[in-house]
Amino acid sequence: MRVFDATGTPLIEELAEYRQYVDLFRFLALRDIRLRYRQTLLGVAWAIVQPLLPMLIFTVIFSRFLRPETGGVPYPLFIFTGLTLWTFVASSILAGSTAFISNFSLLNKVYFPRAILPTATVAVCAFDGLIAGAVVMVVTCFCGYLPTARWLLLPAIALWLVVLATAATLLAASLTVAFRDMKNVIPFLVQIWMYSTPVLYPANLIPMPLRFLAGANPMTGPLEAFRACLLHTAPDWRVIAESGLSLFVVILAAVSVYRFEEAHLAERA
Amino acid sequence: MTAISVENIRKEFALSNGGSPSYGTVKDLFAGTWKRGTEKRKFVALDDVSFDVAAGQAMGLIGNNGAGKSTLLRIISRILRPTSGRVCLEGRVASLLEVGAGFHPELTGRENVFLSGSMMGMKRGEIVKKMDQITGFAAIGSFFDQPVRFYSTGMYMRLAFSVAAHIETEILLLDEVLAVGDAAFQQQCIERVLEVGRNGQSVILVSHNMTTMVRLCSSALLLDGGQVSYLGSASEAAARYLKIAEARQGERCYSEVESAPQDRVVRLRSLRIRSREGATLATVSIGDEFGVEVEFEVLEAGTALMPSVIIRNEWSAVLWTTDTSSEWHGRPRPVGCYKCVAWIPAHLLSAGSMRVSAAIHSFHPWTVHLEANDIVLFHALECPGGARGQFAGNIDGGVRPLLDWSVELDP
Repeated sequence: MRVFDATGTPLIEELAEYRQYVDLFRFLALRDIRLRYRQTLLGVAWAIVQPLLPMLIFTVIFSRFLRPETGGVPYPLFIFTGLTLWTFVASSILAGSTAFISNFSLLNKVYFPRAILPTATVAVCAFDGLIAGAVVMVVTCFCGYLPTARWLLLPAIALWLVVLATAATLLAASLTVAFRDMKNVIPFLVQIWMYSTPVLYPANLIPMPLRFLAGANPMTGPLEAFRACLLHTAPDWRVIAESGLSLFVVILAAVSVYRFEEAHLAERA
Repeated sequence: MTAISVENIRKEFALSNGGSPSYGTVKDLFAGTWKRGTEKRKFVALDDVSFDVAAGQAMGLIGNNGAGKSTLLRIISRILRPTSGRVCLEGRVASLLEVGAGFHPELTGRENVFLSGSMMGMKRGEIVKKMDQITGFAAIGSFFDQPVRFYSTGMYMRLAFSVAAHIETEILLLDEVLAVGDAAFQQQCIERVLEVGRNGQSVILVSHNMTTMVRLCSSALLLDGGQVSYLGSASEAAARYLKIAEARQGERCYSEVESAPQDRVVRLRSLRIRSREGATLATVSIGDEFGVEVEFEVLEAGTALMPSVIIRNEWSAVLWTTDTSSEWHGRPRPVGCYKCVAWIPAHLLSAGSMRVSAAIHSFHPWTVHLEANDIVLFHALECPGGARGQFAGNIDGGVRPLLDWSVELDP
């Protein structure tokens, strides 16, 4: 016997319910991947072009005028690693923030655990991200940065990124339901986030009074660790640990905002 | 054994002043105009609704448009949360509130069956097992592996219904879906619902077709204005429903100010079908001219209001939407009572029962002041002559205008 009332399902029960809907998640993700690659001319190449284009632009701008100190790593390689990870998180948020409002007719017609919609878009972006990540690994090896034991950390970094992208996308999608003009605000927030994240520069380049920002940013951890793996840079383990704590804050925020908005998704989305 | 138990369900929707659902904006947050709970009008869609459905039983759910049937189905299927009260369900629920929910035009029929089925909670393995039955029922042959955007409406509907009809859940919720497809397919659907009942599954069926409802359901719930008006035998519920519908034929007056559709600016007073002489008409001959009269009261001066009437036929197709008084177009209206009539020429409608809705809008910014859907019913009756001529059979089409034909003969 299942009971539904004004308070909704307890979190534990809702989580258990996702097992029932694993197939739906897979079909939604596969649908979008299939549709995407059926329609785009570039196909799989699109996954690599996405971080590659900004890399070229930023390389020209930054290496001409700013020349950040990257610990001996060639600057294009440095930002290519950063932009690859960043592209995955940013494109998840941008694509997934409208997951609820653009699927209103669906939310209003069928019941399924709602968070499946934004998480399925994350899966699509993760597919692109995997391709781009593999290319980055090949490129760094080709440039002489051969695999070390640190590569064993890569699955953990990937997991961190997927969790972060999922939480941030869920948060963005729920806020877009609460505030209708949020979808115009989110691209700006993502931009601001990018420039305050050590994507284009190393974390130790942040001036000391602002250094706490690196730890407060859940994106710093995977970036620093990824470069430590692929480019043999010296990681700042403390910043990475702090960044891991901020990840939990983001997860908490995402789950609570989503659980709050979930109650009236089909009315307001 | 009780499969569905609905206890004291109440559902309120918050409406903004424009009558649309309210939501905040980031702008409000910064401009300090953010309101929470204040000044919001509440619309009570369901009020203290309770009933039980036993396992293996089919219950009909009937009532006028806006009585709360869809809201109730949405609450039982967990799409909406009740404001208070609770729903207890024994077993899984499949709801078919709209045919083809979750279908994507670019995907093939097969891919859509997987998507739509999994959306209703079926596992991949179950769908694979049912695939032959689903394709057999839908009978769309080689189109099954084509993208559904190449399908005709009939094929699309058949496939969509077929997916829902083959879900093995203990509870099935259906909304008006029996009205899809040709007569043969409808018959097939009815058989399917009867079969579902025999398998011990419970069904709640929303229908406007009393004949079908009485045939399929042992009991029925009649909703009126969000409240239970009758709960009992299907035939008694059908009889009472038809009586309610009768009362609104040709005319709808809002004598009580509170219950009238309205906002700050304007209030609807009445909508009726009338003759030139001023008599209210519940039936109109398609060979005669008639008027649709809207009466409204402007409460706050200065808005350029645009009243419109929408006429739907029995298949819910919109025949047309019309601005009732174009001389007032763009002119701010002074306070007062307005009565405007749109004259519908003779020989325009096709025969059948028609539903009339009224709405009042304004532009700059686009605002829906009020919307009252299907508040008046009337019957358009056949008349000899006209566009029918000497033909005695069925004439297709939403309208049947008497057109001027020119004929040239080249012998």
